[in-house]
Amino acid sequence: MNILQKIPLFKKTISILKDTWNVIMNEFQTMFKDRGVVIMLVLAPLAYPVLYCSLYKNETLIDVPVAAVDCSRSQESRELLRHMDATQNIRIIGGFSSLAEAKQAYNEKKVHGVVYIPADFNKRLNSGEQTTVSIYADISSFMYYRIINQACSNCILAMSNQIQVNRLNSNGITGETATILSNPIPYEGTILYNEGAGFASFLMPAILILILFQTLFLGIGIIAGTSRGENRFHVLVSSAVHRGGIFRVIIGKSTCYFLMYASWSFFILMLIPRAFNLPHIGIPFDILMLLIPFLLASIFFSMTVSVFLPHRETGMIVFMFMSLILLFLSGVSWPQSNINGFWEAFAWIFPSTSGVQAYIKINTMGADLQHISFEYISLWIQTAIYFATTYWAYNWQIKKGRNKSNKSAKI
Amino acid sequence: MFNNLYTAIKQTLSRELKRMTSRPIYFICTVLIMAFSYVFFLTFFNEGQPNKMPVGVVDLDNSAISRQFTRNLRVMQHCEIVMHLNSHKEAREEMQRGNIYAFVEIKKNFEKEAVSNKRPFMTFYVNDGYLIAGSLISKDLTYMSAATSIGMQQKILRAKGVEENRIMGIVQPIVLDTHLIGNPWANYGTYLLNVILPGILQLMVLMMTVFPIGVEYKERTTREWLRNSDNSMFAALTGKLLPYTIIFTIIGIIGNMLLYRYMHYPLNSSIGWMFLATFLLVLSTQAIGIIFIGITPVLRDGVTFAGLFGMLGVTFAGSTFPIEQMPVGTRIFSSFFPIHHYFNIYVNQALNGIGAQYSYLSFIALLSFTLLPLLVFYRLKKAAIKQNFPIK
Repeated sequence: MNILQKIPLFKKTISILKDTWNVIMNEFQTMFKDRGVVIMLVLAPLAYPVLYCSLYKNETLIDVPVAAVDCSRSQESRELLRHMDATQNIRIIGGFSSLAEAKQAYNEKKVHGVVYIPADFNKRLNSGEQTTVSIYADISSFMYYRIINQACSNCILAMSNQIQVNRLNSNGITGETATILSNPIPYEGTILYNEGAGFASFLMPAILILILFQTLFLGIGIIAGTSRGENRFHVLVSSAVHRGGIFRVIIGKSTCYFLMYASWSFFILMLIPRAFNLPHIGIPFDILMLLIPFLLASIFFSMTVSVFLPHRETGMIVFMFMSLILLFLSGVSWPQSNINGFWEAFAWIFPSTSGVQAYIKINTMGADLQHISFEYISLWIQTAIYFATTYWAYNWQIKKGRNKSNKSAKI
Repeated sequence: MFNNLYTAIKQTLSRELKRMTSRPIYFICTVLIMAFSYVFFLTFFNEGQPNKMPVGVVDLDNSAISRQFTRNLRVMQHCEIVMHLNSHKEAREEMQRGNIYAFVEIKKNFEKEAVSNKRPFMTFYVNDGYLIAGSLISKDLTYMSAATSIGMQQKILRAKGVEENRIMGIVQPIVLDTHLIGNPWANYGTYLLNVILPGILQLMVLMMTVFPIGVEYKERTTREWLRNSDNSMFAALTGKLLPYTIIFTIIGIIGNMLLYRYMHYPLNSSIGWMFLATFLLVLSTQAIGIIFIGITPVLRDGVTFAGLFGMLGVTFAGSTFPIEQMPVGTRIFSSFFPIHHYFNIYVNQALNGIGAQYSYLSFIALLSFTLLPLLVFYRLKKAAIKQNFPIK
């Protein structure tokens, strides 16, 4: 202690910087020498976004085959089916004379839905009565049901409006009055932020943030597990590198991860959305400001947990499944407002939750930093907390290591 | 010969059981993670559908009609009005903050215009950045607006003296009657849990196939392992993996019971088919796991492959986004994932309740996975004796 105080300040600073620099370089070297780490921290964050974006690139379903059972065989029924066929989302397959036949095709997965037009369809239409069209939709996937229902109901609504005006005319209500009466309170539903109601535009932003978080977490886990498995007394950092200063070790290591993930983030959060035409209306500066606490919180969170992983594989085996849990906790698919209190609190432990929400709000919905103040402050609080826990965990680990080496030195 | 094989398997089995109790990771990755996942997802999707999601109202008219509309919205299943806002800008900002998923805007002089037949527009804005919330709320708001419009028409037609039995034919000439095949409640949990729980199961089966085998190579205990099994790779693998087959099958069947009996998710066939499918999913996934650790008997690479493959499995099951709408070639690729066939069986049997003959290809596919390990027997055995692979 005394010796340290006698050294002039600038020399001390230089030595601290030198140490930190050594830790950074050392960390980069160990990272790129290890195939497992390279796969997790370099290959996965670069390949996964491209892979997932390619799989989901269709955004919506196109020309889903739907069987038509047209018992009416009239001009009107054919017109309705023609309209349905003309939509982008479904394709009408005719030639089914009964529901049983259509069901057979459905069972064989040749069609994903059935439109049934009853025999008295045009008779009822011509006599001014109400008639019913039935649809049967495959719901093995949420998308099939949504698309088929939407396409059919739009076509039916359009046809209904036409018929309405005719019927009003035949009831002696004509001209402007008929038009007004057929739709007295017009409504207009406007979809915001994901105008095409696209699947990729909705899910991919969350997946992108989770890829960053999970690869970082698992990668740091491999590094820490390896050093514990390999170093002599199962110490996390070999003592040759850090020469005492825990801060230098933590700052050095986290700088190394941060620099690397800052570049991946640029690729994943800025380039990928543009390349695959995902929503990208956020201001780049705001995304950058969000990234700083998100990456720091994620890094310190990962470093804290990684101290407790005894082997290099442990992290991956035990925590891979968390990717799915984190996706739901982030509140994108199942809305955040409907997550119960316990799981909401649990979700807050993970920086990915605030990261996903804040990123979607900025980049999909064009919010600015002031709108995401809750997530933003949360991430900084998490950064502070997890920095403290990292310090505590490293301290504990290094002390444990020192005690062991002291003991062995005595022997 | 048969007797030898039996003792070899038995010896390996009892050796494995001892190993399983030696480290906590075995318990964590079989029982604990699966139990946590069951509890998590079942409590998470308890509601079935997200109800009463927050919605805002911008009522600039503040008239009888606009208040009536707001009151009507209260009875809708999916939305709940949580705030009244003073301007479009304010509402949009609340939406960007994520406090509301949609808002209805009623313009000034709405009532005056409606009464004087000027057809004022009612507008609602829905945030489809959250697609599930957006589409459910949108459905409610559309229904509500249409109902308001229809109510108005009925009133006017009655006033004009149109006969009561003709009114419905005029206001709504064609009614759409939607049937959901197999899942009449459109329960959101049903879509997800039927693929996510088996998805996590197959991920953990992969991990717990690669790990117990790989750790032998890593710790250089493969010779002892082989000696115990009388130098037969078949006995060595069978004895080693049998405990996991049993544990994961039981856990998987508990999962089936939870979904179809406790949660009462649609089950239109005998539950036995799902038990069988679960058992075959475990078995075929173990076979894939053996392939991964057989390609390079290095634990770290095996775990990485298994992890990446297991995560992709959830996508390739085909529930979230239909496989046939993905790029060409994905369909072939997806058939390499056992869970894809499991999901097929689920759709045919549990959901649609059609004859088992429609699923026979999927059953055969699952069974044929179990032949795959033969490809790596020789390699695994050679590596086990020579111990010539890096342990790191």
